[in-house]
Amino acid sequence: MSANMADETQKTDSRDVEEDPLQNPLSSGTDDEEDIIAVIRAPAKVSSTEGRPSAIMGSMKLEEEPDVKDLFITVDDFQKHVFTIDTYITYRVFTRTTRSAFDEPEYSVRRRYQDFLWLRQKLLETEETHIIPPLPEKHSMRMDRLSKDFTITRQAALHKFMQRISEHPVVSFNEYLKVFLTAKELTSHRKASSGIVSRIGSTIKTTTSALMLKNRSPEFTMMTEYINTFAEKMSSVDRISQRILKEQMDLGAEYESYGPTYRLWGNSEVELADTLGSLGDCLDKCAKSVKDMTLSIETNFLPAAKEYMLYSDAVKGTLRKRDYIQMEYELACEELTRKKNEREQVKISDQNYSLGAIMGKDPSDVKEAKSTKLESQIDKLQKQVDFLSDKSEVANADMKADMERWHRNKRKDVKEMFTGLAAGQVESYKQCLDAWEEVIEVLKSEKRHSDDVGNSLFQTSEPSVHAAGGGDSQLNGREEDEKE
Amino acid sequence: MADVTGDPSAPSYDSELLSDQQDTSGPTSIGDLARIAAKNRKPKLPHWTSLIDCQDGTLLEQVEICVTEQEKRTGAARTTSMGMKDVYTVYLVETRVKESGGQGLGEGHTSLWRRYSEFELLRNYLVVTYSYVIVPPLPEKRMTLMWQQMSTVDNFDADFIERRRVGLEGFLQRVGAHQTLCEDGIFHGFLQKEDSWKEAVHATGFQAKQDSRLKSLNASFRLKKPDRKFEDLKNYASELQGNITAVLKVRAKLVDRLYGIHKIHGNYGRVFSEWSGIEQEMGDGLQSAGHFMDAYKDYIDDYMNEEEQIADQLKEYIYFADALKSVCRKQEVLQYELEKAGDLLAAKTLQKEQVMGNAPSRSFSLRGMRSKIFGPESQESKDAQTKVLEEQIEECEQHLKQATQETEAFIESALVEVERFKKQRTTDLKEIFINYAILQIKISKRGIAVWTNMKDCFQKM
Repeated sequence: MSANMADETQKTDSRDVEEDPLQNPLSSGTDDEEDIIAVIRAPAKVSSTEGRPSAIMGSMKLEEEPDVKDLFITVDDFQKHVFTIDTYITYRVFTRTTRSAFDEPEYSVRRRYQDFLWLRQKLLETEETHIIPPLPEKHSMRMDRLSKDFTITRQAALHKFMQRISEHPVVSFNEYLKVFLTAKELTSHRKASSGIVSRIGSTIKTTTSALMLKNRSPEFTMMTEYINTFAEKMSSVDRISQRILKEQMDLGAEYESYGPTYRLWGNSEVELADTLGSLGDCLDKCAKSVKDMTLSIETNFLPAAKEYMLYSDAVKGTLRKRDYIQMEYELACEELTRKKNEREQVKISDQNYSLGAIMGKDPSDVKEAKSTKLESQIDKLQKQVDFLSDKSEVANADMKADMERWHRNKRKDVKEMFTGLAAGQVESYKQCLDAWEEVIEVLKSEKRHSDDVGNSLFQTSEPSVHAAGGGDSQLNGREEDEKE
Repeated sequence: MADVTGDPSAPSYDSELLSDQQDTSGPTSIGDLARIAAKNRKPKLPHWTSLIDCQDGTLLEQVEICVTEQEKRTGAARTTSMGMKDVYTVYLVETRVKESGGQGLGEGHTSLWRRYSEFELLRNYLVVTYSYVIVPPLPEKRMTLMWQQMSTVDNFDADFIERRRVGLEGFLQRVGAHQTLCEDGIFHGFLQKEDSWKEAVHATGFQAKQDSRLKSLNASFRLKKPDRKFEDLKNYASELQGNITAVLKVRAKLVDRLYGIHKIHGNYGRVFSEWSGIEQEMGDGLQSAGHFMDAYKDYIDDYMNEEEQIADQLKEYIYFADALKSVCRKQEVLQYELEKAGDLLAAKTLQKEQVMGNAPSRSFSLRGMRSKIFGPESQESKDAQTKVLEEQIEECEQHLKQATQETEAFIESALVEVERFKKQRTTDLKEIFINYAILQIKISKRGIAVWTNMKDCFQKM
């Protein structure tokens, strides 16, 4: 309910805000559809401009009622569309919501990857101060673009993207999102905006700003440092896991050919045929366990690592934008101080030798004109400074709130991701263990059949199996010590 | 993968492996390397006595035979034409007589150094002297079918030498456990007589009895009546070699991957410990998970050695198959000689018949020509010829009889030996497989333990 109220306040506020031209720097590239865009953008815009209440409300909302979700988005059921010119894949985007901003409780639309790209671009433009979750990367090879495995992975990533957006207390109210979720036909909306131009603009803006800041709060410096290190570690994790995955896949393949070699051997041994056969079966089971594990890494672990690599880029981008906003503010402040100094200078200065006086004007008139001009400039600048100060404050508050949320999600996701990895390994080893324990029973009983010496021989080696278990508990002990 | 090289966090387990090796090759002179490595680096590989089935009344019951140490030596000032010194490894053969029996061995405890070439000499002697016996094989001269990290080493690598020591010990114990071989004087001499043992071996003149390779090759191609049993054995030996080779090849690749996988996990350990520095709540979990990653990286080395040992035991049977083949070859040679003797006898008999005019010469012959041109030969010359032929025939008959006896005796003993071998093979292989399974169980349990611990760490984050 409070979400709806927030929406309402945003709408009412927006009208006042819209009147100030300075508050909408993004609308500079206007065209004939300006009105539509303005209407669409307005409520969202408010969250950052008139931002403090909404941003605070956003974070408050999350803390007060984190369980009440009123927007559920799923991405599933990909379909391939084959045309003579182009072949592409669409995904079903299904929305269920109780929000009053939506006319229906449910929407189901089909979207292409490009549409997602458009949405994200729009969100980046309109939600400058928020961390926009990443989309899966474009495929490097066009040939594989339509393969089933790739599409499944991409679909999962798109779903994750929509889920993250729907959970965001501010971004989930974005009008472009609503359009994306509800519009039957997205093409007209997409044409209405010149995404690429403004994106290039914004990257130039953001890259130039990073080093020019006067006094960045250490908080954000730390955030930047953190995210840089995090990104580095995440990409290491990604690289290591990919390399391990490759080795594990090869291991699986070797295991697959290992079983048959034993069975083949069994063909030429009369007395050992059963033994070799059961060994072959056991190795097949091991092969399967390794395959299962690699599959789980491929579908769960790797995409998660990849997402966080991209996510950290998104965070970096938002941090840069915040820096830019701060820089804008600082520059405006500087300019204001300069003008104020100038005004003081004009007050005490002698205008007799000014260009105006030389041209034959009355020096006092010149002085007067200059002062008035400066006054109006200062007035304007003051407004701008106030606005930018607000904007900067909002950006800071949003950044902090989003970062906090991001950390919370990251902790949960990283935990899940690695726990899943470990669980997969344990499961795989368990399957191998079961297979070998089964086969050793067969081997032992066969040995007992063939001779009685086998028994005593085996008993000598039996303790070593338990010794392995003992060794591990020792290891645990050692690790515990280290922790202390 | 090009970007990987310059990056310190790039996954690479090779470097760690290298440093691992450097640690061990650090100490002092090369000469001590093998011994130091064998003593300090890891516990000695246990010998596989468990595999050797002690037969009743064999030497091994009364005597303990061990190859306990190895040492690198340089030939005394005897440099080769290349200016390189003759460097070799010697192995300490220790013999302890537990209870004095009538085995012709001296009393008490003896220990002496033997070179690999001396082991080879002993085995060659045994192979020639007891041609019907499937003589236990020696460990291979150079390593084959190895796990990759192992295959790059040279003949003086500590691991290689250690594994050869184990193999040589196994060889001596197998010989000692063999009903026939264990009673051989030269074998006893090998164990106990340091001086003039080589001379004693050569004095037996065994080399003269050695069948040339050409001879046996000849035999196998020209055999008229190959013995089905030995043909089957020969085929079996080839199949056994093929099968074990196939298994070992896949195993080597498998182990290679496994080793790599464990080692790459070490990189996680490093990344986690660096990462833990920037995380507040997750830091501790990452840190301790990193420790477990390191443990996962490290423990594989131990298992690799055990794996290799089992592989060695399996590999012994590739060479056992060679020994089996050589028995088959010996049978072929004997059979060939038997057939040759038979042929000669038949030829002489035919000749005699022809001379006596009892049999018509089946084909155009010189004799037929002569009788046509000069008329029939005189009775005297015929008699003389017949007499010579009869003598020859008798000689041939003797020879044939002898060859038949020899072959029969050989076949009889060889088949007994083959039966013994088959039994030994079945028990050994089963034992090897059980050991292999035990090792796999250990590895799996270790894996479960480490990853369960890691899971706990992650869950606490």
